[in-house]
Amino acid sequence: MQAQLLRRTLPSLVLGLLFLSTPAMGVCLDKYQELFGQLQKQTDIMQRTSLLLDPYIKSQGLDKDGLKEHCREHPGAFPSKDALQRLSRREFLRALHTTLGSVLHRLTALQRDVPKAQDLEMLNRAKQNIRGFRNNIHCMAQLLPDSSETTEPTPAGPATSPSPTPTSDTFQRRLEGCRFLHGYHRFMHSVGQVFQEWGESPSRSRRHSPRRGLRKGVRRVQLSRRNKRLPPRGQLPR
Amino acid sequence: PMALFSVFQTTFLLASLSLRTYQSEVWSEPLPWAPESLKVSINSTRQCLHLQWSVHNLAYHQELKMVFQIEISRIKTSNVIWVEDYSTTVKWNQVLHWSWESKLPLECAKHFLRMRSAVDDAKTPEQRFWSNWSSWEEVDVQNSLGHEPLFVFPKDKLVEEGSNVTICYVSRSQQNNISCYLEGVRMQGEQLGPNVSMFNLNHVAFIRETGTNIYCKVDQGDGIKGIVLFVSKVLEEPKDFSCETQDLMTLNCTWDPGRDTGLLKQLSQSYTLFESFSGKKTLCKHKSWCSWQVAPESQETYNFTLTAENYLRKRSVYLLFNLTHRVHPKAPFNVLFKNVSATNATMTWKVHTIGNYYTLLCQVDLYGEGKVTQHNISVKVDGEHLFGGLEPDTQYMAQVRCANANRFWKWSEWTCQNFTTAEAAPSEAPDVWRNVKSVQGDCVVTLFWKPLSKLQANGKILFYNIVIENLDRSSISKLLSIPAPANGTEVILDQCLYQIHVTANNSVGTSPASVIIVSGDPGNTEVEEERVKGTEDGFSLSWKPQPRNVTGYVVDWCDHPRDPLCDLQWKNLGPNTTSTVVSSGAFRPGVRYNFRIYGISTESVPYLLEKKTGYSQELAPSDNPQVVMSNLTSHSFTLSWKDYSTESQPSFIQGYHVYLKSKAGQCHSGWEKAVLSDDAVCCKYKIDNPKQKTFVVENLQPESFYEFLVTPYTSVGEGPHGAFTKVTTPDEYSPILIRIILPMVFCILLLMIICYLKSQWMKEKCYPDIPDPYKSSVLSLIKSKENPRLTIMNIKDCVPDSIEVLNKQEGTRKSLTETESTKPTYLYLLPTETSYSGPGPCICFENFTYNQAASDSASCGHVPVPPKAPPSQLGLLTSPENLPKSLEKNYMNSLGEIPAGETSLNYVSQLASPTSGDKSSLPTNPPEPALCSEYKMQMAIPLAPWKENWLSSQRIYKTY
Repeated sequence: MQAQLLRRTLPSLVLGLLFLSTPAMGVCLDKYQELFGQLQKQTDIMQRTSLLLDPYIKSQGLDKDGLKEHCREHPGAFPSKDALQRLSRREFLRALHTTLGSVLHRLTALQRDVPKAQDLEMLNRAKQNIRGFRNNIHCMAQLLPDSSETTEPTPAGPATSPSPTPTSDTFQRRLEGCRFLHGYHRFMHSVGQVFQEWGESPSRSRRHSPRRGLRKGVRRVQLSRRNKRLPPRGQLPR
Repeated sequence: PMALFSVFQTTFLLASLSLRTYQSEVWSEPLPWAPESLKVSINSTRQCLHLQWSVHNLAYHQELKMVFQIEISRIKTSNVIWVEDYSTTVKWNQVLHWSWESKLPLECAKHFLRMRSAVDDAKTPEQRFWSNWSSWEEVDVQNSLGHEPLFVFPKDKLVEEGSNVTICYVSRSQQNNISCYLEGVRMQGEQLGPNVSMFNLNHVAFIRETGTNIYCKVDQGDGIKGIVLFVSKVLEEPKDFSCETQDLMTLNCTWDPGRDTGLLKQLSQSYTLFESFSGKKTLCKHKSWCSWQVAPESQETYNFTLTAENYLRKRSVYLLFNLTHRVHPKAPFNVLFKNVSATNATMTWKVHTIGNYYTLLCQVDLYGEGKVTQHNISVKVDGEHLFGGLEPDTQYMAQVRCANANRFWKWSEWTCQNFTTAEAAPSEAPDVWRNVKSVQGDCVVTLFWKPLSKLQANGKILFYNIVIENLDRSSISKLLSIPAPANGTEVILDQCLYQIHVTANNSVGTSPASVIIVSGDPGNTEVEEERVKGTEDGFSLSWKPQPRNVTGYVVDWCDHPRDPLCDLQWKNLGPNTTSTVVSSGAFRPGVRYNFRIYGISTESVPYLLEKKTGYSQELAPSDNPQVVMSNLTSHSFTLSWKDYSTESQPSFIQGYHVYLKSKAGQCHSGWEKAVLSDDAVCCKYKIDNPKQKTFVVENLQPESFYEFLVTPYTSVGEGPHGAFTKVTTPDEYSPILIRIILPMVFCILLLMIICYLKSQWMKEKCYPDIPDPYKSSVLSLIKSKENPRLTIMNIKDCVPDSIEVLNKQEGTRKSLTETESTKPTYLYLLPTETSYSGPGPCICFENFTYNQAASDSASCGHVPVPPKAPPSQLGLLTSPENLPKSLEKNYMNSLGEIPAGETSLNYVSQLASPTSGDKSSLPTNPPEPALCSEYKMQMAIPLAPWKENWLSSQRIYKTY
């Protein structure tokens, strides 16, 4: 039990330490490589299912044959890897920032179905990690050339956007939560792969059309700063 | 008759039918108070049907007791599943309600409902018959479900653990095969309709807080629908409900909520507190306690109802009490101690006031030295208590609590405080004992003392003072101060009588002195040591009562006798005691403990009475002695183990067993056969005397192989049968031969050495050299001086000094003595030794008696230097004093080297040499100094028969 708790807590602590040098107080690192390295490490940790999905499945009793198979990401719920790869760096960061903003709101909604304090704490830590990660994305966007339009740092307080409309059916809500978390981890895995490509070709800057890039996977991602509101649950990027 | 009967029967039937028709018309006459305006609604969450209706035609303010009979059918109207009579008092213009909870989710089947009424009022007894049934009201929820392919009901139902639940699904397609699962386990259902199945779950169990997952899947496809069944543990009645006040202003009510229902927080139970006299009600924020504000001086008695309620159940408990009887004071505060001395201390404290007229009873407990003392004190505001009879330098813990003195309800919480009393001088003299040894005329006294107990020390012992007073010369005394925590010291005294005082000192004062007298005589008179048998509980020692006055006895021993610091222990006993049991946690099995019993005289002089020794438990010896074998002969050998200490063994050694293995396997007298643990048979000899540490094994066979082992035996067994020592007896004659041969060899060697050392002497004595007449210097002397012309000397002219003719048979040698006895006479013609110096002409005598030819061939030349010594003689030349002799000898030897062929003649006479020792007989004209004198070979006289004999004897000639 303690080992399990440690396995869950340790990555979050690491993430917390990584965030110490991030713009929590509004100051960004101006060293690209250092910031990029942090983003990669954060991505590595955030894609681990042991951080969110596995404990959720266990606490909700979804770890049964016949149920586990339905805990799969809805196609299109999160931008696909291909879609992310087709984006330019700036577009990629913006899509990432927006998607994680949605994730934050969704996690807040998910907390209502998690009765145990331990699981609540797990979700809270995940939310803090995402906020820190989004701030790093904001800083990274500033370091990219032509940073006139950038993402905005994430406030540390609770999300102000409305939660997705809750489904009255607890079972369906439970399954949806599981699928969402599955998609979230998969999405972060794809993000990590894109970051890896960045590392392999640091000077490469994709200049694909954002529309073309979003056509398949991130068609509904709100990229504009002016529309930061979380889309309803059914409107998560597909 | 048959026709008549048929007509009668028909008439009767018609009459009966007419009667029934009449009756029916009378009963089914529309009632003025029949139920009207029926409305049916459903609550899916609770699976309830709600029915509401009204009764018209009631007069204003009219109240009528009525009975409503309600029928419920499922799927079709004829399938009535529920009939219930609902009695109530109906008022004018009242809307009536009734609910019914369906076991089967309402979504899974159509339900039909109708009702009728009857008056059940004493005021209108004539109206006691049913009204007509209302028309069936249909409840069909399936129509409003939507168009999804599959539905599972009931959604999010909350039930208690152990209850029965019915689950159902509604499928939109008849072709689909649908399977349903409870937590992954497939359920077997019952078909209700073409698209509807139900599953009965009996005695559902609590699985997890987040509920039980039940889901159905279409076999061909990804569709999955499910529900979560929230199973709650049964809500328990609150226990130990109690209310009390600390300040008469606030009531604090507490209870034990019992076990958790295991539901989500939003579904868990709530607690409500209701007071019936005031009619006030409060919703408690906590699951186990609630606060209630007391109305100031207006209410003394309270009647509370505590209600625990959740979605499924409600539980209530009640409590009636008088407020003044439930006063639970707050804990006292500001507890202090003043005037703390070694034996007294005063404790003060304060209490929280409760109204103006309340007196508190306070209980004060004092913990110290393992004891508890309790005191009760009545207190208004401040409390004070004096503790007396305390122990010095002791930490005490005092605690105080208070309760309502007028009506006891509960004690307050304790308030604790520690304090430590002051130190006092030690109250007891230290327990002192001594060990006396005599070393080089001095008395070495080792003093031991036991540390004072806490009660005796009355503080921290800082040092021990030792005053040594010489009783013979009372003016002389010596003071030693030994810092604590030492428990002994060593002093060296002469042979005088000393009195030693030992005191313990702390920061306040000195203890009484412990006095012990040590005389110059250590007192270790030879007292015979007795053996005692110990047990696990210790050693039981007893001694003879002493005829003279004793003030007590002391038994001492070492807890660790094998250690150099043996940890001396002692035990003081009264004068009338003659036995005691010495026990110690340090006693170990297999260790010998020695006890000395002393009597203490009235002059405080201890004298040794008895010695005891024993084991708390004897153990079998673990080691065998190291045996040395000696005196090995062909028939015996000797074993010795003198280094084996019987004192340090784990038990008293009673003797030894000598085991002997031999191939013969026969045991001689005194030995007995024994079988070893490895089934080997050997002979055993028992030595009863533990002090006997040598043994001669006899009656052995020469040139035989034996193995032996010596092991001690005790009352608890013998030593280990370890490795036997191997020995082989020698040959029987070898010693004799050695005894003979060795001396012989020694004698021969000695003889050879003597012969070697005295070889010269032996040679002289046994086989002296025969001088060669041809090499005699006399010849040359004669030749050169008297007659240059060689003439044959007439034998008549020769005046031989002496002539000896030897005639001896070939092959017979003369012994040394015989040679000696013959005493041949030689011619000494050489010049004196002193005059011989260096090379010079040799003097030769020419004896013409012999063959001239032989004479010619002989060498008669000068010998300039002595012939070179052969290598074998070099060793003799190394010594300077031997040198002249060696030269002489060699020289002579060289003269003797005559070819055998030329010495075939016998000679008769030679002139005497001047060096014969008689210088006076020398001629007047002595020859010129010459290096050597030679004899010329003389002519042989043809004496044929002697020839051979002479040849054989020629070799023994020697010339000096």
